[in-house]
Amino acid sequence: MQLTRKKFLATTAASGAAIGFPAIIGAAPEPIRIGSIPPLTGSNALLGEQEHDGVLLAVEQINARPGKVYDDRPFVIVEEDATNDNQSAVSALNKMLGENVVAIVNPVLSTQIQAMAPVMKDQVIPWMTGGTAVKNMQLGVPGAFRLRASDAITAAAITNFIVGEKKAKKVAILHASDAFGTGGAEQIVINLKKHGLDPIVDLQYPKDAKDYTAEILRIKQSGADALAMYVQNPSDTAVILQQIRSLNLTCPIVGSPSLANTTAIQTAGKNANGAYAAVDFIVGMNSNIATHFLTSFYNRFHKQPDVGSGSGWVFDAVNLLAYVYKQQRSTDPKQTIASLEKIRNWEGVLGAHTADAEHNMVHTVSIGQINDGNFALVKKVTG
Amino acid sequence: MSFDPVANLQLLVSGLAIGSIYALVALGFVLIYNAVGVVNFAQGDFVMFPSYVAISFLLPSIAVFGTIVHWQLPLLLVYAVVLVLMVGFGLLFTRVAYYPLRDRGWMPVVIATIGVSIFLRNLAQLVWGSQPQVMPSPFSVQTIALGPLQVRPQDLLIIGVTALLIVFQYFLFERTMLGKQMRATAQDRDAARLIGIRVGRIVTITFVYSVLLGTISGLLVAPIFTVTKEMGALIALKAFAASIVGGFGSIPGAIIGGLAIGVIETFGGFYISTAYVDAIAFVILIVVLVVRPQGLFGERVGEKA
Repeated sequence: MQLTRKKFLATTAASGAAIGFPAIIGAAPEPIRIGSIPPLTGSNALLGEQEHDGVLLAVEQINARPGKVYDDRPFVIVEEDATNDNQSAVSALNKMLGENVVAIVNPVLSTQIQAMAPVMKDQVIPWMTGGTAVKNMQLGVPGAFRLRASDAITAAAITNFIVGEKKAKKVAILHASDAFGTGGAEQIVINLKKHGLDPIVDLQYPKDAKDYTAEILRIKQSGADALAMYVQNPSDTAVILQQIRSLNLTCPIVGSPSLANTTAIQTAGKNANGAYAAVDFIVGMNSNIATHFLTSFYNRFHKQPDVGSGSGWVFDAVNLLAYVYKQQRSTDPKQTIASLEKIRNWEGVLGAHTADAEHNMVHTVSIGQINDGNFALVKKVTG
Repeated sequence: MSFDPVANLQLLVSGLAIGSIYALVALGFVLIYNAVGVVNFAQGDFVMFPSYVAISFLLPSIAVFGTIVHWQLPLLLVYAVVLVLMVGFGLLFTRVAYYPLRDRGWMPVVIATIGVSIFLRNLAQLVWGSQPQVMPSPFSVQTIALGPLQVRPQDLLIIGVTALLIVFQYFLFERTMLGKQMRATAQDRDAARLIGIRVGRIVTITFVYSVLLGTISGLLVAPIFTVTKEMGALIALKAFAASIVGGFGSIPGAIIGGLAIGVIETFGGFYISTAYVDAIAFVILIVVLVVRPQGLFGERVGEKA
């Protein structure tokens, strides 16, 4: 048999692999597998796209650094589609848990977080979530952390602004019927009671509703002097604002962070003018990290990020995990949860992150106002 | 809650507008059911898909397959182009989802329509992305004042166009040979074939007409709903309920059922609960089915035989 150069190299490589040659010369560092479960399809696919991009950008930036996460170990993303319903989200989670991941990022939808919680209760694994319903962090999941401001802070900011600044006495609430909407509305009611007020009307609309005439006319008829809105979907937000203008409801509107996300503002157009929202991010008022994130996101994807509910918080989640892994030089899930619990003033896109007893990381929101497609700061609130 | 005549008129206009959309989509269901005996689960996507096609031509800039296009054609031209394109789509739909399966019973055709529905939604996400889009309205103002009423001109357009389509359809079915052939085919395909009607051609025309009803619904409703790939789903669900309330297979039933569901759910949202608007529509459906299983305008099976 003639030994060609090609056969020699092939034989040598195969033999080396068989006897563990890589261990002698130094194998490629083991990747760190992190899971992500955004809603890539269904009516929240836009949110999922933003989350996918935020995770991807963070991973690409970390993997491009010298030393990568630590000891040259890169991140690898394992992604599953949470779609738009809870059952599919739980199925995606179960599949993810069999994928040998050391941490899970997402979802942002509170309804999906609450559906996944019974499964995650028995898991000791860091779970970086973005849903803002207060209840999410009270479900006994040991590894769950919230990378955004809770509705307890947001709703308090909305209520204090409505009652304190706008001097409203008759406050109407309009909210979606999902966990986010109902949880947020409950918090508004709790905070109104602190001011000695009850909502003049508290209306929820069903999922995927498109005609809000009944809701808006009831608010008008109630004589409300302010409207608090907890609506997650940007398309719903745009349609509601359009119908509010059409039906000539003129009281001040103060909404949840989703009212001011880029997509909602773009879709609503001039109908959003004058509306306020409590948000965890406003362009121009956060740190240099935020500015760098905005620039790099645009350069990478040629579009603006929806920072608060979309890509910013997942970018923070991945970077925070990388920071903790580097500090402890390990990806051990139990150790990581303990390290995350000790986080104090870690700076991310959404500002300073400090873990509290319930694993909430972000504690500041700002009230801003939409005008001609821009969202400008009115007031900063720390919970 | 005090009785407010202005609010009630406002509710009536909104209810009739949304009910008109349900009625048009319900008509699409009924026509296809009458022609080939299957429920077309892609009917809602015939509302969504042409709306996306329309905004591609209408908006100053929009990403299509990730490439920004700037056609911004005049509105009426776009409507015409979309209607022509959807005629082509209707022909394709008939060829792909119906003809290859037509001799295998109703179930494969129904499954095919579900497949087309999923395909169209995913295609919409692939082509236009996930961003909701706003279709420009043909009107320069959002509302007009009719006395104390603030009415959206788009609502009036929806009601007006639906009324015209109903009149057009009446003349089509009652006064034209094509309409009579369509009715004959709906009543008994074999008998229609025996008397020389080209049943295949009539079925194709019925499919295309149903696609056009969905298209017109989409073009009418998109300026007030925003265009998303899910926009047709709930409309189709309510329209399906409307066609059952009216009596599945009955054309007047689909119209009355659609209008009734639109009006009742709007008033129900105002007077009973906004949270249970969808439930109200389906409670009506259950009550009608219990009291009159064949629907408001449907024939009893015994009578039909």
